[in-house]
Amino acid sequence: MASTRLWLRCLATSAPVPSTLSIKNAIICRTFTNTAVVAVGRKRPAAPVARVPGLDNPGVLHNLAEIHPLLDHYPRLGDQDGNLNLVTAKNWPSNPPLDEMLKGQAEDDVDESSLPHGLTKDDLRKFIRRALVIKRTSNMTTAGKIPTMYALVVAGNGRGIAGYGEAKDEEPARAVRKATNRAMRNLTVFDRYDDRTIYHDIDHKFHATKIQFRSRPPGFGNRCNHYIHEICSCIGILDISAKVWGSRNPMNVIKATFEAFTQKQKLPDDIARARGKRVVDVQHTYYGASE
Amino acid sequence: MPRHYDLCSRVQNGFRAHLRRIAIPDTKMNLAIANVLYKEGFVASVNRGDHIQPDTTYVPTTPDNIATRRLWLELKYNNDEPVLKKMTAVSKPSMKVVMKVQELQALAAGNRAQFIKGLQPGEIAILTTNYGVLELREALAKGSGGEVLCRAI
Repeated sequence: MASTRLWLRCLATSAPVPSTLSIKNAIICRTFTNTAVVAVGRKRPAAPVARVPGLDNPGVLHNLAEIHPLLDHYPRLGDQDGNLNLVTAKNWPSNPPLDEMLKGQAEDDVDESSLPHGLTKDDLRKFIRRALVIKRTSNMTTAGKIPTMYALVVAGNGRGIAGYGEAKDEEPARAVRKATNRAMRNLTVFDRYDDRTIYHDIDHKFHATKIQFRSRPPGFGNRCNHYIHEICSCIGILDISAKVWGSRNPMNVIKATFEAFTQKQKLPDDIARARGKRVVDVQHTYYGASE
Repeated sequence: MPRHYDLCSRVQNGFRAHLRRIAIPDTKMNLAIANVLYKEGFVASVNRGDHIQPDTTYVPTTPDNIATRRLWLELKYNNDEPVLKKMTAVSKPSMKVVMKVQELQALAAGNRAQFIKGLQPGEIAILTTNYGVLELREALAKGSGGEVLCRAI
């Protein structure tokens, strides 16, 4: 009866349903305590006779902080034991530990002996990991479009060691996990002047992406394309200015950045050695820059 | 009369082709710039010679052999990479660049001056001053400005 307003009123009674009530308008359901709970239509129900412990005086509001098995039936307020499993700022799940992420991927797991630069699996757990590109690619076949998820993950320790990995899988989470494993396998050391910036300005072109990097003084910050910004935080570059010209395709920007930092940086020591000159660190020794 | 930008092209191309030595026209300006390159360590030696090879003993320049006179620069490489990667002219016939001491100081600090980009670590600039053809820092030591001929890295 669409026009009728139904009051749902839980009554606990051990007595049988009074015959005076119209059955047509009544919804009878069973409860845990084997009593009849009656939802009634237009007619007001008879005064309830409570027989359930804790509900002796239904007129009085009992402790709402406790979960009552009868009244607070909805599971979203907590589990059977009365635990309210609310997510707070303290227990908000952040980057899950690496071994949890890599669980179940035994073939793909990073072998500690293959890690470069004396890294251990403990060090890897503290790495910054950023999944910068997650895309849905589709392979057109005679059977139709087959979608696959592609992920590009950049990993770094924030102190000069970083790498990136790409992977594809049907599920995005698995693709990210695979890409993270590959990133851990492709780690390289990046040279930074003063552990904060690049040694000199770099111009690099990768496919249709041209990037200009400019070395900047301390306190400047990473003022650059957002992908370059994430890579710099993974590498540990604190001051840089960059401009991307041409294509800003994220995958190519990331690859161009890594290529530029590995290939194009010339250290003053190497330049001096090539020319047969001595290098004197004027900035630190002469001007006495202190910690 | 070959200009300084001719020298820039010859030197850069010689390094790119991984040549052992190159021959450039024997002029006072070319000799002066080649001396700066030698002092800075870009080039192993500067010799006078003819169009085929450098001289082993001293050969005076006479009207008979002047057409064949060349300067030979011995190029340097390190780890299969040329020591000089790029040499470009700064002051050109289309736009002459003459700088004062303040502007040269800005260049040396890595800042722009007169639409010319600042020097990067390891980069040199060769300029002609009243004291002769000098590298930028030598000119600053003498407190003299001048026409910036070329830059090399």
